[in-house]
Amino acid sequence: MPVILTADEIAVLVLSLQVALASVALVAVPGALTGWVLARARFPGKSVVDALVHLPLVLPPVVTGYLLLVAFGRRGLIGAWLESWFGLRIAFTWKGAALAAAVVAFPLMVRAVRVAVEMTDRGLEDAARTLGASPLRVLGTVTLPLAAPGILAGLMLAFARALGEFGATITLAGNIPGESRTLPVAIYAQSQVADGDDAVRRLVLISLAISLLALIGSEWVARRLARRVETA
Amino acid sequence: MSVDIAAEVGFADGGFRLRVVSTLAAPATGVFGPSGAGKTTLLQLIAGLVRPAVGRVVVDGEVLDDTAAGIHVPVHRRRIGVVFQHGRLLPHLSVDGNLRYGERLLAAAQRRIGYADVVALLALGPLLARRPATLSGGERQRVALGRALLASPRLLLLDEPLAGLDGGLKRQILPFLRRVHSALGIPTIHVSHDLGEVLQLTTDLLLLEGGAVVARGTVAQLAAQPEHLGRLHDLGLVNALPGTVAGHAPEDGLTSVTLGAERTVLTALRDEPVGTACVLLIRPADLVLARTRVVAISMQNQWLGRVVSITGTVTRTVVAVDVGVTLLVEISRRAVAELELAPGAPVWCLCKAQSVLVT
Repeated sequence: MPVILTADEIAVLVLSLQVALASVALVAVPGALTGWVLARARFPGKSVVDALVHLPLVLPPVVTGYLLLVAFGRRGLIGAWLESWFGLRIAFTWKGAALAAAVVAFPLMVRAVRVAVEMTDRGLEDAARTLGASPLRVLGTVTLPLAAPGILAGLMLAFARALGEFGATITLAGNIPGESRTLPVAIYAQSQVADGDDAVRRLVLISLAISLLALIGSEWVARRLARRVETA
Repeated sequence: MSVDIAAEVGFADGGFRLRVVSTLAAPATGVFGPSGAGKTTLLQLIAGLVRPAVGRVVVDGEVLDDTAAGIHVPVHRRRIGVVFQHGRLLPHLSVDGNLRYGERLLAAAQRRIGYADVVALLALGPLLARRPATLSGGERQRVALGRALLASPRLLLLDEPLAGLDGGLKRQILPFLRRVHSALGIPTIHVSHDLGEVLQLTTDLLLLEGGAVVARGTVAQLAAQPEHLGRLHDLGLVNALPGTVAGHAPEDGLTSVTLGAERTVLTALRDEPVGTACVLLIRPADLVLARTRVVAISMQNQWLGRVVSITGTVTRTVVAVDVGVTLLVEISRRAVAELELAPGAPVWCLCKAQSVLVT
């Protein structure tokens, strides 16, 4: 079985990385902030926010995709607004694929950050406050650096989840070569045609390779970060 | 400096863990009491790390908390330094990064304590590039102290900074704490459950128990009150006398230390250079009283003094004797009777050179 990729398959690979990285970029800051808020803040309705955040984790991805389509479709509330004001189309574009992947990956990012922040020593934050650091500075100079390994793990999970996203992607963005035919969508499509077996095998190998590389890479970085923040 | 507190701190589950009405005005106050007495909560209240359920906290006339007026100055605007138990150094920063953490947040005009001075005072030079994880417990506390000082606090709170350090390390840190007092003059509240430790830094005491102030005053005042004597004893009552190394006599195996103007105390031979400031520790039970000078006895220290007060409980009797400084001497009730001791009576106070601890 030759592992040389066809031009179409290279396009699928590039698009998949693009979509996954874009969705990680989308969830990074909101996910980290939400995780921090859920770990540290006390406010009424916190359990509702918590439940909403976790919704994409328990909903069938197709349902998530459908709800996104209702909101972001050309006649959807947000979709129509984005198109008329910014000329931005989400549904059935690569941006839609990135959005779908981001929404599905969001709770994983939040959970990882939340656990990481909950595990950082509040005593260290108190110490920084007595030295004159405002809450925002404490977040930036103490909490985030100490939670960095956990945040990285969250980004990694989000990336892996985004790379494998299928149901919400195909519902919101379809299966359009160069726009929304990501690795899982392409594998599914090839597995449906009679002579697609070789293509499927190549695409599966690529998926495996990317996932393993990402896993090993993040493990390496996490270990370095953990060494930086270790206590005696 | 004055810290006025009239506040109550509650538990999350109701009830109170601290109810304090007190003014701390001495340059240094030792807050002590058994575990769970509310000592740490008191410091957290002053630092702003816990909020009072009701009441006011005022430092130097500035209202930091007032529940009635809805005032709560946040921790980072209080300029009150804290040295915590176990240091709480930021593990991702070097020693240098920790030291400069608070200093960087100050405008240059507000910096009253120089970086180089703190590094020299606390002997931190060799540690600057190290990570907190590689420091010993004593080194960590020195860095934590330096870090708090460099934030130029108007008040320094020490929360059992020596807890968890063994005796040798404690003796290494205490001189640094004393130097901070004498060299920088920052008002300090020192929390400890070890009276001997507190007394090396200050004689002004606040005794907490069950979340309330049960006594305050100098150690001499408290020791003269029978109801506090037992407590003081349990917490390690000791005579702590600041002095200066005056001379060594290696042929006699003795070092002389002057207390104040003229009183000289002989101790077992030391190696500190003449002129070194130190604190002498003498346990009350190690002191002996006599009506006359005693000849032909091995005790090298004999001081003539006058009885100030006699405080007795069922189990123990403490005689305060003024020998130039006030010494607390623990003897039996029968001894008090046999020597016919009474306030004003002249008495000789005796002590072995080996019973005097120098730190």
